Parts: sequence; C-alpha cells; structure tokens
Amino acid sequence: MGRYHYVFPKWSNLLLPGALLFGATFPLYAIYVVAYGFSPATTDVGYMPKQPIPYSHALHAGELGIDCRYCHNTVEDAAHAAIPPTQTCMNCHAHIKKDSPLIQPVRESWETGEPIRWVRVHDLPDYSYFNHSVHVNRGVSCVSCHGRVDLMEEVWQEEKLSMGWCLECHRNPEPHLRDPSLVTNLAWKFDGEAKEETEYHAKLRDQFAINPSQDCSACHR
Amino acid sequence: MILTIVGSTFALLPPAIAARMRSEMSREPRIHIIQNMDNQSRWKAQQANPLFADGRAMRLPVEGTVARSEIRIDDHLERGRIMMDSQEVWATTVPAGLEIDQVFLNRGQERYNIYCAPCHGWSGLGDGPIHRRAQRLVDGSPSESYGTVWVQPKNLHEQMYVDQPIGQIYATITLGARSMAGYKAQVPVEDRWAIAAYVKALQLSETEAEQELDSATDDASMGGE
Repeated sequence: MGRYHYVFPKWSNLLLPGALLFGATFPLYAIYVVAYGFSPATTDVGYMPKQPIPYSHALHAGELGIDCRYCHNTVEDAAHAAIPPTQTCMNCHAHIKKDSPLIQPVRESWETGEPIRWVRVHDLPDYSYFNHSVHVNRGVSCVSCHGRVDLMEEVWQEEKLSMGWCLECHRNPEPHLRDPSLVTNLAWKFDGEAKEETEYHAKLRDQFAINPSQDCSACHR
Repeated sequence: MILTIVGSTFALLPPAIAARMRSEMSREPRIHIIQNMDNQSRWKAQQANPLFADGRAMRLPVEGTVARSEIRIDDHLERGRIMMDSQEVWATTVPAGLEIDQVFLNRGQERYNIYCAPCHGWSGLGDGPIHRRAQRLVDGSPSESYGTVWVQPKNLHEQMYVDQPIGQIYATITLGARSMAGYKAQVPVEDRWAIAAYVKALQLSETEAEQELDSATDDASMGGE
C-alpha cells in the first residue's frame, strides 16, 4: 500500500453521482409521500368506529325505508343533524325485539336517563363552520357527503370532508342539486338524457338562486 | 450497493402503509399528521363534557324556565282543546295563524310520510313497513323475535278515527295513544297540525272515493235496468 494509503477508495467515485441522484429524487419522493400519505383520503376516509350498539342503517333506512329525518330530525332547521335521543329508538323498540341483548344498552339508557355514547363518525375540524339545514333545504342530498348510508351495516366515512373537497362543490354545485323533496332518497338518480340532466340541475340552481360562497369567511367564521 | 437496496426498500414502506390505510376500513381514531387546530378545547353539539356531572356538553334548561317559543298558554294550539259553552271540547278547526291550504297540506303529507307512514302506511291503512316486519317477527320463531309484542297500527280510515275532530288527532300525534309514542319532542307544533290536517284529507280522499264509486255503480246499475 504505502503511498496509496491516503487515496480515496474506488467506490468513492460513486459518491458524487449518488448524492446528485438522491438530491434529485428525494424531494420528489417526499412530496409524493406527504401528498399521498397525509391526504384525508388516507387518514380519514374509511373510518368506521365501533359503536356501542350494532345499529344497522342498512336495515332501518334501507330495508324498512325509514326516512333519514325520522331520527335526524333537526337537519332541516339546525346546523347540526342530531343523533336521536333514546326515546326515538324506544318509539318502536318498546315493543319490537324488546328483550334482545343487542338492544339492552338502549333499554338501560331509557331507564337511567344516561345517554348512549355513540361515536361520532363525521367530524369536521373545529375551525370550520358547516350548516346542514342550508344544504338540505337547497337540494343537496345526504348522499353527496355521507354516501349510501342506507346500504351500510355500520357507518363509515365515505368522503374526504377536506377543504379542497368542499370547494369542488362550491365551485360547481350543479351536479349535486336535486329537488329538495328528494334529498333523503339516497338511491335517486336522474332519469333521462345527459343533456336533460344538465338542464335540470341548471334550472334548480336558478330557481333557488344557488351561489355558494368561496370566501374564506363562508366556513371560517 | 447494499445501502441503496436497503434504503429504497425502507423508502417503499411509507407509501405501502398509506396504500393499506386507503384500501381498508379503520376502527382506530383518525390520525391527523398535521394537527393544525383541528381539535380545540371547546365542545360541539351533543358532545360529552366531563366537567358536568351528567357528562353532557349541552345543558338542559334551568328548572322553572321556559325557552322562547316553548311557552304553553294557547290551549287550541298546544292541546287541540277549545272552550265551547263553558265546556272544554276537541277543536274542529286548526288554530288561528295556521291556514289549511295546498302548502300546508303538502307539508303535512311530507311530515306524515316521514314520521307516521313507517307504521300507519303511506295511505293510512295501518300497513307500514315497520308493521310488516314486526308481524313477521311475531309470526316467526320466538328465539328471533326477542319478546316482540305487536298490535297492528290503527287503520286511520276506521269510522272511529274518521269521526274524531282534528284537535283529537292532533292530541294523539302529540301525546301518543296506547302503544304509540307521542311525537311532541320529535315534530314541531305547526307540523303536528299539518299532519293532523293531512290525516283528515287522507280520510276524506277515502270516503269521497267510496261515495263517488257508490254513485258511479248506482248510475251504472240504473242504466242497466
């Protein structure tokens, strides 16, 4: 070895191109990981918490066809679509399957007055304002944000509920408009040609003077 | 070389985890990697608040107080009762301030279909989907009916209900009757009147149709003779 002792080994020739390659690809990789991994489509969509009672929307809203508003009766008047009080369950379950072990927590709640602790599925960030009533009264269906709840055994979060997602509709609301009497009909689809559908939506927008705000203050108030 | 292979294998891990999170349902609470101010120390409607003994963030009205619009001094509006010859009787009209017109009846129909039709059926015959399911449970095996006790919801076209004044129908909707629960808490007072008016219209549609049918058959039989 002798005088060659202090010479860089041969592999060190790769350091410069290697560093350049890393420098060129890593930022792209980092952007991809953040955009893909931090997106609400990854972190929020598909959230299906375990509820204290295995209540099936597929049975009650789907098979039996009970209107969403039978239970979520504040949705047309308030910002918040209320989770029903135990009394609403007991309207029927005082008689139907009243001894079922699955319904036991409902009966307990009814007897003690202690509310059932349902787990919230759709939870917007605390700095955003959302009003259910203004949407359903103008013909934006439940299905636009909550998906086909009438087919869900257990409710999960179907949509991103992110700011970009809200703005998509606020920029172009027409595809989500329908006659307000049809908002709780989750299976409804426009029956007709694509051209007629466009006209139908445009007409509704006109009729209700729908001009959704895109100002920051619309939701961050 | 080895370093590159190990490095890129590890680099694949975060996208793989994200892809898995995208494709599967999750029972776990949502993780917001960038928290911003998503969860602030305040309470929203119907949340639990450990600071109160009953654990509710929403407070019940203080005892002895009445919320705006909830004062009950109008017997006609609130109870469906009126004074006639110094006797309290069922009201036969809707209270002052409400008017039976097409808009009111449409509202009544919509509310009826939401709150009443599940049991009483869309045409009031007592054959709604809840009745049909409950009846299936009663008729089926006892191990699946879990103590279901069921009385068929009333057919609103029975003479007894056709004869009831609108005030009495309103009171039944409000307070319930026999096994039917009251809908006072679920349906606002004006809507309960709209439903009562719609029930009256529904009954009328049935009797009118019958009378028309009768007169039509009469005409037909007279023509035949």
